[in-house]
Formats: sequence, C-alpha cells, structure tokens
Amino acid sequence: MSWNALLPELMLSLGILLVFLLELFLSRKYYKFLTLLAGLVPLFALLSLFFVHVPSKTLLDVFYVDTHNLIGKGLLYAITSLSLLASYDYFLKKEADYGELSYLVLTSSLGLSILLSSSNLALLFLALELSSITMYVLIGNFRRDYPSKEGAYKYLVMGSTGTATLALGSAFYYASVGSLFLKPYSDSNTLFLLGMFLILSALALKVSAVPFHFWTPDAYEGAPTPITAYISTAPKIALYFLLVKMSALFSQVKEWMLLVALLSILSMFYASFVAYAQKSVKRLLAYSSIAHAGYFLLGIVVWDKILSSAMLFYLSVYAFATLGSFIVLAVLEKRESFTHHFMDYRGLGRHDTLPAVVLSLFLFALIGIPPMALFIGKLGIFAGLAKVGLLPLALLFVVASIISAGYYLKVIVYMFLEGEERRWQKVKLSAGEAFVIMLCAVLVVLFGIFPSVLYDLIFNAL
Amino acid sequence: MLSVAIFLPLFSALLVLVLRREKLSKIISVVSSGIVLLIALMLFLGFDWNKPGFQYEAKYEWIPTLGIYYHIGVDGMGISLILMTALMFFASFVWSWKIEDRPNLYHALFLMLETACLGVFSALDLFLFYIFWEGMLIPMYFIIGLWGHERKVYAANKFFVYTFFGSMFLLLGIASIIAYAYITTGQISFNYLFHKNLSYPIWLQLLAFLLFGVGFAVKIPMWPVHTWLPDAHVEAPTAGSVILAAVLLKMGTYGFVRYSLPLFPEASKYYIPLIFFLSLVAIIYTAMMAIAQTHIKRLIAYSSISHMGIVTLGTFALDVNALNGAIYMMIAHGLSSAALFMSAGFIYDRIHSYHMDDLGGLARYLPKLSVLFMISGLAGIGFPGLAGFVAEFLVFLGTFKNYPIWAFIAGVGMVLSAAYFLYMYKKVIFEEETVPEQRLEKWKHLKDIETHHFLPFLLILASAFLLGLYPLPFVRIVEQTSRYVLGG
Repeated sequence: MSWNALLPELMLSLGILLVFLLELFLSRKYYKFLTLLAGLVPLFALLSLFFVHVPSKTLLDVFYVDTHNLIGKGLLYAITSLSLLASYDYFLKKEADYGELSYLVLTSSLGLSILLSSSNLALLFLALELSSITMYVLIGNFRRDYPSKEGAYKYLVMGSTGTATLALGSAFYYASVGSLFLKPYSDSNTLFLLGMFLILSALALKVSAVPFHFWTPDAYEGAPTPITAYISTAPKIALYFLLVKMSALFSQVKEWMLLVALLSILSMFYASFVAYAQKSVKRLLAYSSIAHAGYFLLGIVVWDKILSSAMLFYLSVYAFATLGSFIVLAVLEKRESFTHHFMDYRGLGRHDTLPAVVLSLFLFALIGIPPMALFIGKLGIFAGLAKVGLLPLALLFVVASIISAGYYLKVIVYMFLEGEERRWQKVKLSAGEAFVIMLCAVLVVLFGIFPSVLYDLIFNAL
Repeated sequence: MLSVAIFLPLFSALLVLVLRREKLSKIISVVSSGIVLLIALMLFLGFDWNKPGFQYEAKYEWIPTLGIYYHIGVDGMGISLILMTALMFFASFVWSWKIEDRPNLYHALFLMLETACLGVFSALDLFLFYIFWEGMLIPMYFIIGLWGHERKVYAANKFFVYTFFGSMFLLLGIASIIAYAYITTGQISFNYLFHKNLSYPIWLQLLAFLLFGVGFAVKIPMWPVHTWLPDAHVEAPTAGSVILAAVLLKMGTYGFVRYSLPLFPEASKYYIPLIFFLSLVAIIYTAMMAIAQTHIKRLIAYSSISHMGIVTLGTFALDVNALNGAIYMMIAHGLSSAALFMSAGFIYDRIHSYHMDDLGGLARYLPKLSVLFMISGLAGIGFPGLAGFVAEFLVFLGTFKNYPIWAFIAGVGMVLSAAYFLYMYKKVIFEEETVPEQRLEKWKHLKDIETHHFLPFLLILASAFLLGLYPLPFVRIVEQTSRYVLGG
C-alpha cells in the first residue's frame, strides 16, 4: 500500500491532531495563535501536493490521485487556509472564540479532500458525511443566536435527507452496475437511472441547486460570516471537481443531460429572480451562489474538455471572489449592531472606501465584467456550450447573467450612489483580513489578465 | 507606439489614484491626454494610405491555449477614430479644469475610459476587443452615477443594464463564430484576420449577425433600444456627455463596419431592409421627438440618435461612397455633438437649468457662447463648409444610387434637424422678451466663456471646419477601409 498518495490528507490529519492537543492545554487567550496555526496546516498540505506521485491508487483502489484532483485539492487548501486566516478577529470581537472552530474547519476540509479522491461510492459517502457533519456544527457556532441555530438545524435536516438519498442511490447503482466503483456507463436501465437520479439529487443539494436549495439562504445567513465564506466556497470546489469526473463517466446517458440541464436552468432563473426580493446583502449573496450553481452545472451537462475546463476555471476564480466578498461582509459586521440590511450599506463608499471598493470589485467580478477573471470563465462556458451544439442553453445562460447584473448593482448603488443613513464608526481591518481580502482581489484581477497560468493547468490535467 | 497611446491613460489613472493630490491629478490628466493626442496625430500623419490592410500592428502571445493574442493595429477608419477620441478626451480634461467634486476619482475614471476607447478602436483580437468594450462600462457607470444630476442613479443603472444586455449578446456572437471555426478548422482563434478569411455558412452568418448586431445596436443606439441614451445624457456631467456622444456611441457603428460587414457579408445583404427600416425610424422618429423637447440636453441627445441613424443607413447601403460617408459621419457627429453638449453644459454651469422655459435672451449676456453655440449647431445639422455636410452628402449620394426611395425618406430627417436646432437656438439665445425682469437682472453678472472652455471649443470647431472645407485627405483615408470592408 502506498502511503504517498495520502500525503496531503496525512498532513491535514496531523495538523488537526496537533491543534486539537494544543487546544486542550492552552487557555482562551491563545485563540488567535491557534487559528493562525490551523491556517498554516493547509499550506503544508498544499506543499506536500508536489511530492505526490501521480497517478496512483491506494486503500484497495478506492482512493486515487491524478493531476485533476490534485488541482482541486490545491484550491481547496488555499481557500481553507485563507478563510481561517481571516476569521480570528471576527470571532474575538463577537466573543465566540471557541478553540474547536479551527480544527473543525480543517476536519471539514479533510472530508472534502478525501471526497475529491474517492473513486468509490462508499468512500464518497463517508467523505461527504465527514465534511457535512462538521459544517452543521460550524454553522451553529453562535449558539446563543437564533438565526445561527435555525440555519444549522435546517441544513442538518436537509443534509440528512441528502445523506439518505445518497445511500439509497448508491444501493441502486450497486444493484445495476454490480460494483460501488465509479466507472463509465452508458446503458440507461431503470435501476441505474434511479440510482443516478438519487445520487445527483444528493450532490445537487450540497451545491445548493434548485429545487434542493432551501437550506442555503438560512444557513448562509445564520452562520458566522467567515464560516459562510468557507461553506460557500470550499465544498463547491470539491463537489464540482467530482461532478466533472462523473459527467465524464455518465454523460453518455441522455437522461443525465436532461436532468443536469433542468437543475441548471431552474437554479439560474429562480435564484436570479428571488435575489431581487432580498433585503439583506448576505442573503443576496446566498442567492447569488445558488444562481452560480446553475452556471456551473452547465459545465457538466455533457463531457467536453473545453467546457469542463472553462467551468473549473470559472469555479476557481469564483471561489476567490466569493470568499473575498464574504470576508468583507465579516469585516463590516464587526461593527456594533451592523446587520446586512441594505440600509446599513448606504454611503459606505464615502465612509469606508477600501472595503466598499473591494466589495464592488468582487461584485463586478461576479457579474462577469472584464478584466476580472470570472469573465473568462463565462466566455469559456459560452464557447463550450456553443461548441457542443447547446446554443439554447448558452442563450439562457446569457439571459440569466443579464438578470443577475441588476441585483449585484443594487448593492453597489447603495454603497456609492446613496447618501449615508447613520454614522458608523470606521471599520478596523485585522492583518489577516486585510491580507486575505487584498490577495483575493489581486487574484481575481490577475487571473483575468493572465488566465493561462491557471487555465492551462486545469486544461492539461483533464 | 500605439500601445503606449492606449495604456498611458491607464497608467496615469493609477498614478492619480495613488498620489491623491487634486491639483496634480488635473495636471497629470491634461498632460497625459495631451501626449496621447500628440502620439495619435503623429500616427495619423505617418499613416501610409496607399498601403492596404492594417498598420502599426503589434502582436504578442497572451492566452495561447485559447488562441488569444494581444494583437492591435489600425486602418484608415481606426486611426481617424483614434485621433478623434484622443482629441475629445484632451478637450474634456481641459473643460473639466475647474471641477471641485472629488477630482481625483473623476480624472482617474476618465483616464480609464480613455484606455478602453482607444483599445476598442485598435484591437484586432476579438477577445481583446471585448475586454476593452466592457472596460468602458464601469468608469462610465460611476461617472454618470456620481457626478450626474437629480436622477443620476436611475440613469446610471439604466445605462448599465442596457449596455450589459447588449454586451452579453455580443459575447454570445463571438462565442458562436469561434466555436464554428473550431469545429471546422480544428483551431481555436480569436484573431480577427483569421476569421475574416473564413467564410461562414449562411445560417451562422444570419445568427451571428443578429447576436453581434444587438450588442452594437444598443451602443449606437438604434431604435428601439435607444431609450437609455436620453436619460444617460440628461443626467451625465458635461464631459461625460461629450465622451458618451462623441466616442462611446461610435463604438457601435465602428463594430458594424469592422466586424459585421466583413465577417458576415451575405447576412449583411439579407438584413438590409431591417437595418434600413430601423435607421429610418431612428432618423425621423427621434428627430420628431427632438422637436417636442423643452430640455436642451435631451433635445441634443435625440438629435444624436437621429444622426446615428444616418450612419447605420450609410453603412448598410453597401456602397463605397455611402460607407465613406458613414465613417466620415462618425467623426463629424463626434465633433458637432461634443460641441453642442459643451454649449449646453456651459449654460447649465452658469444658469443651473437645461429647460428652455428658464432660458431666453442669452445672446445679450453670453455673446461668445452664442456664437460658438451657433457654429456647433450648424455643424450638427450639416451646414456646408462644416464636416457634417460632407458626410451627409456622401451617405445620400451612395444610398441614392441603390435605394433612392429610402434615401429620399431619410432626407426628410435632415430638414427636421434644421427645424429643431433653429427652434432651440431661438428659444435659448434670443426671445429676450419672454424672460422675467428679475432674472435678467441676475444674468447681468454672468461670466462668459473662459479660457478652459474656449480651448476645447476651438480645437473641436477648427477640426470641424478643416474636415468640412478640405475633406480630400480624410476621405481618402477612410476609403482605404471602405474598400477593404466591401472587398472592392
């Protein structure tokens, strides 16, 4: 058995144990140190990726490693590390500095990391559960706060349904294919279709695609904002890298195409319309992520190298933009009695120029305006869809994108073009937050101007 | 050299943002846009118009996997528009010399806008073109939204949503031809010249023409997607209106000439009736709308739409003369509308109203302005001796040859344009007797045109005269493009 393939996961596990032990002995005032230490763990895991031999398999072949999922892991670790680095000041200010927090985030990432490498439905199930259960706890971190509890509870109930669905789907899959290993399949018999349908529903729930999205706005809103930043990005990376692989295996089955396209269209349009009705910016971003789930699903409707790599590129830069915007929200929220109601954002551009400018940069990026990198992702998906002959879907994508521009703009309008409602004290950025926000902003623009760096990596790995 | 001209403003914008010194930011903007103007002039004078194809080309690898290059170059039309753009930005910066409200951000946004505009007119890579095309969106959005008048937020949002809507279709159009080229040749390429040498099947041409067309039509704007323009103009600050009318609207017509005609020749023929119909509606209907206005800026905005109708008419007459006229008109309209918006802006600056009812009898108090306003207006309605006349003449000459009836109807629009301009001029500048006494009392102390106002006027109107009195060299430059585009 080759332990080498598990190197990054071992690094993560060791890190978790280390933080866990230290947390037992250190008092609360070391919270910041512990979080920063935990933030370094994924970076070591990231470094260890360079020492993994590809491709390789281990653990009775259920765990496999190739360049494709190594890239996914790299992104996942980067996001995890960044969200931890930016979180400590927020929790200290909110007096919710529980030491468990940092290793729970790491545990969740460990689950996602294993998920990326699982070629077997049993391991996939375990990995997904490992990450989900920790996420329920993370969302409920503000235990005295009603929305936090409600969000966690909703996600727990919906998530357990997803778990059950995944288990049942796997059973059907086993019954029809005769193995739990994921392998190419093109014969559409009823049992297989049923299995596929259930598995896909469970995964759609985790990426919050309509109609399995109900937990998303509440969980995103209720969770402490740095945790929202994490749960809106890290799981998506892992799941879409996995879904791309599944689309390579199953998209020969024509029902796959129908089902994914349907989920995608529903998500794009439903979320875009409902987002307009939101009064809270945090909820608005939650709906934006549902809409984006729709865009990403377009990338797995059929298997095509250009389409899929464009989608993964889009996903990667989307993760940085979303992480960045939620961290800005977290920074703003540190102020006394700040809610995310639109009224609180009035006149922010004059008053807190830096956060407002960076947030609008991320929002413009999410709309897909060049030179921000998300534009290239959008272009890639357009071109990919046009190439595989799905022009109607591309047209719907365009329409949904146009609709979405309006609600992102709404936030910008409130920040820059409206007068102040009340005087807030100026926000103070901690070093970690400033670093993460600036890094995300720079990456979003830099990958827009030099997309080859990341794009070629993904393209060649597929 | 061309790249220097394109990116110098962007660099200056960053400088302005970093330095945050008000006086310095004004100096930086005027100097850097002046340098850009000089470079543009040098490129223009050094342009070899006997040589077919593009000149001053530069090509570097950018995203090789997707066949994307940093590829720029200009032909006769490109270099003329670049010269006009550089002139307009220089004039706008001089005009805005006395701006007090957040000058750093103001100048930085205009400088970014300049880079985007120059980029659009010189990009030879579809991807690069699109990046520059969208690059103007954010600066303009904030220019309207932050320095505009009462309903600025509404106007800014409307501008953004309409333009973004158009751009998405443009993007889809680009994606569709690139996908087709990939399927047939196995090569992904955003290179304009590569695509020009491919011939697309008719179904793709018809489809892509429409997709590109929506993008361009919103920008021009053509009827019926024109409604954002009057609002944007009314609310935008003066320099914003100048750039919007003189430069940004040209991006749409430029797109038609640069992309739609050469890439989709058969579809262009097929859609002639549609384009003609829309152009005529634009010419006649918006001219009539202009007559009905009492807000001078709104009136000028409608007249812009009407004149852009002539450009689209000339473009799709598929005749060398008409196309020549259309390209000439882009420049002529740029000059005249800029001068008109500056006049209107000046009046607002002094009297704080755009409404004809609040004005009247200005000839006595602002005599210098009255003269400049008159010349600008005459340039706008195509008075002989000024640039607009040559342009309109060429368009009608070319269109009349193949489509006499359409040309005749369009001619009516010209009569209307004289009507609305003279009507406005009479109301604003003369008609002293309708103005209440105490208002006249107040106006006695009005300050007439100052140097920082006069210089832009001088530059623009002198160019309009030059183009009107001695059109030969300019027509020849443009002709190079016309032949290239129409394959003659």
